[in-house]
Amino acid sequence: MRNVSERTASAALGPAVTETVVVVPDTPRRSRWPRLVSLALVVIGAALVLSFPFVAPNPYILSAGVVILNYAVLSTGWNFMGGFTGYISLGHAAYFGLGAYGTGLIVKYLQLPGFVAWVLAALLVVAVSIPVGIAALRVRGASFVIVSIAFVLILLLVFQSWREFTGGSEGLIVPRPFPDLMRPEHHRVFFYLFAALLAAALVAWWIIDRSKFGTALKSIREDEDKARSLGVPTTRFKLIAYVLSALVTALGGGLYALWFGDLDPIFQFSILVGSYMVLMALLGGVRHLFGPLLGALVVGIALEYFKLEFGDTQFHLVAAGLLLGVVVLFMPDGVIPAVRALIDRFRPQQTSIRDVTAAELLEQNRAAATSEPRAGASSDHRAGAAPDPHADADNREVVR
Amino acid sequence: MASESKYLLELNDIEAGYGRAALVLRGLTVQVPPATVVCLVGPNGAGKSTVLKVASGMLAPRSGSIVVDGVDVTGTNSQHMLKHGLAHVLQGHSVFREMTVAENVLLGAFTIKDQKAIDERVAFVQNLFPIVGERWKQLAGLLSGGQQKQVEFARSLMVSPKVVLLDEPSMGLDPKTTAKVFEQVARMRDAGTAVLLVEQNARRALETADIGCVLDLGRVHISGPAPELLADPALGDLYLGGRPADSAHVGGSTAEPATKGR
Repeated sequence: MRNVSERTASAALGPAVTETVVVVPDTPRRSRWPRLVSLALVVIGAALVLSFPFVAPNPYILSAGVVILNYAVLSTGWNFMGGFTGYISLGHAAYFGLGAYGTGLIVKYLQLPGFVAWVLAALLVVAVSIPVGIAALRVRGASFVIVSIAFVLILLLVFQSWREFTGGSEGLIVPRPFPDLMRPEHHRVFFYLFAALLAAALVAWWIIDRSKFGTALKSIREDEDKARSLGVPTTRFKLIAYVLSALVTALGGGLYALWFGDLDPIFQFSILVGSYMVLMALLGGVRHLFGPLLGALVVGIALEYFKLEFGDTQFHLVAAGLLLGVVVLFMPDGVIPAVRALIDRFRPQQTSIRDVTAAELLEQNRAAATSEPRAGASSDHRAGAAPDPHADADNREVVR
Repeated sequence: MASESKYLLELNDIEAGYGRAALVLRGLTVQVPPATVVCLVGPNGAGKSTVLKVASGMLAPRSGSIVVDGVDVTGTNSQHMLKHGLAHVLQGHSVFREMTVAENVLLGAFTIKDQKAIDERVAFVQNLFPIVGERWKQLAGLLSGGQQKQVEFARSLMVSPKVVLLDEPSMGLDPKTTAKVFEQVARMRDAGTAVLLVEQNARRALETADIGCVLDLGRVHISGPAPELLADPALGDLYLGGRPADSAHVGGSTAEPATKGR
């Protein structure tokens, strides 16, 4: 309205404006970021990612790039559920592990080509995630978090104990899909495969974000009961989001298996991996398309660095924990909203959410004061009422 | 869905309560004709909000029937009632705060498949509530309480409801904004909607309503045209929180209550 742009308002304007202004530092609307700027940023980002294998100084850095892209896929996958519906799953490593082991086991026992196994494993995970989702999504909030953790712990025990089938703690060797490639070449190919998978996941998230389905999911995030009362089939929609989320995560896991070639239950079904997905998404901003990707960049690089520096001790875990604490304390909505809020500080502010500006209000009050003195007291607010048996706090308004 | 009934909403002989506790509603009957605002007033604990819960399908009655435009919908859930043209605006602020006004309003039309019908409806509510159009792309949480209430009204009107249930629309609003909100209630009525209103701010609500029902102990104690209830000094003393100074002289203290209930 008027000459103010659409933006969060945070300033009250003198004593005349008394309404509480709630600051929601998150207004992801197109009008604030011109379409061209967004497009340019995406193109630059994509160019940077695609050129990385050529500028990476050595195979180790390249493999770290693959790991970070893998994290980005997992975290974006997690965000199909966590970002849209607000259901925080700490056990998404279950689908990472199932995707990886599924691919490895199909290759091992059915002798199928790696990428056929990858697709089959993802479909199997979808089949598994439906009943698990139906059961887990019956509860909300903290209960859902606990159920999700329980699921990954059960899988960890099963895959560790079922030695004859999974290889147990000795691990499972997954044959490489490109046996002729040298190691750096192998990394490079998988870097692009992960990039393609990430792009597909981002496009899917973007489409849902702008769809009616996405709007319905977000209404579940804010108030599930209210959404239901408006006719949103909440149970079905949550399940669809959950299964999509599991699918993307499983595809990331399967690709990891083909790339890394060696699976261990303790790493595949790790609470830690699940927590990293959440940390990355939270750090970047769960309501933003590129939030998890950005978080994966920051956390992934930090984790690699910590491992390199303190790999012999458990200190890299402490460092990751500290990072999570800092994010939750200072940037609860993630980096993207925090940066946007910072930029907005330097732009013209909307000063009030009232229908009138302070100047207009002053004008109105002046006009009212001159035309009808004491008008307000004549009809509505008469004082001096008899005490009344029903006049409790709630209807004191009508005591006259 | 033309019917013989001249009421859009009928609650017939409703008995309802929570869990194993005593009944809250004991044989309550309320009927809402088209383009009419019926207001339920009464002391705390009289069962006002429970009436809306029963009417909207959130609480199943133990006996009695709920009829929307001639169709018996007793025992169905909220979503089913929405399909039959009954929308419920909840107590307090119930917009989705972190979604835009547009998303809020369009969620109201979630059950509608026809895009053209949705567009027409959007134009209709934007015309009825100009603020909705003005703030279309803004986050609903950034609007003031009164503006949010209008977004809620707009959302509930997206399904072209025959009946709108309003639970305490003035809660938390200043007197000026309250006046605006009741103005909007009158506009919804004038657009043909039947409105069942529950309000603590009884006198204010009766000034807008066409019919008033005074609830006490789970049944309709007295009902009648709202202006008559307002003018009735005995009622004023008992249920409206004291008498307004001007009407005390007009009515006289011996006037009978407007109409006896069932």
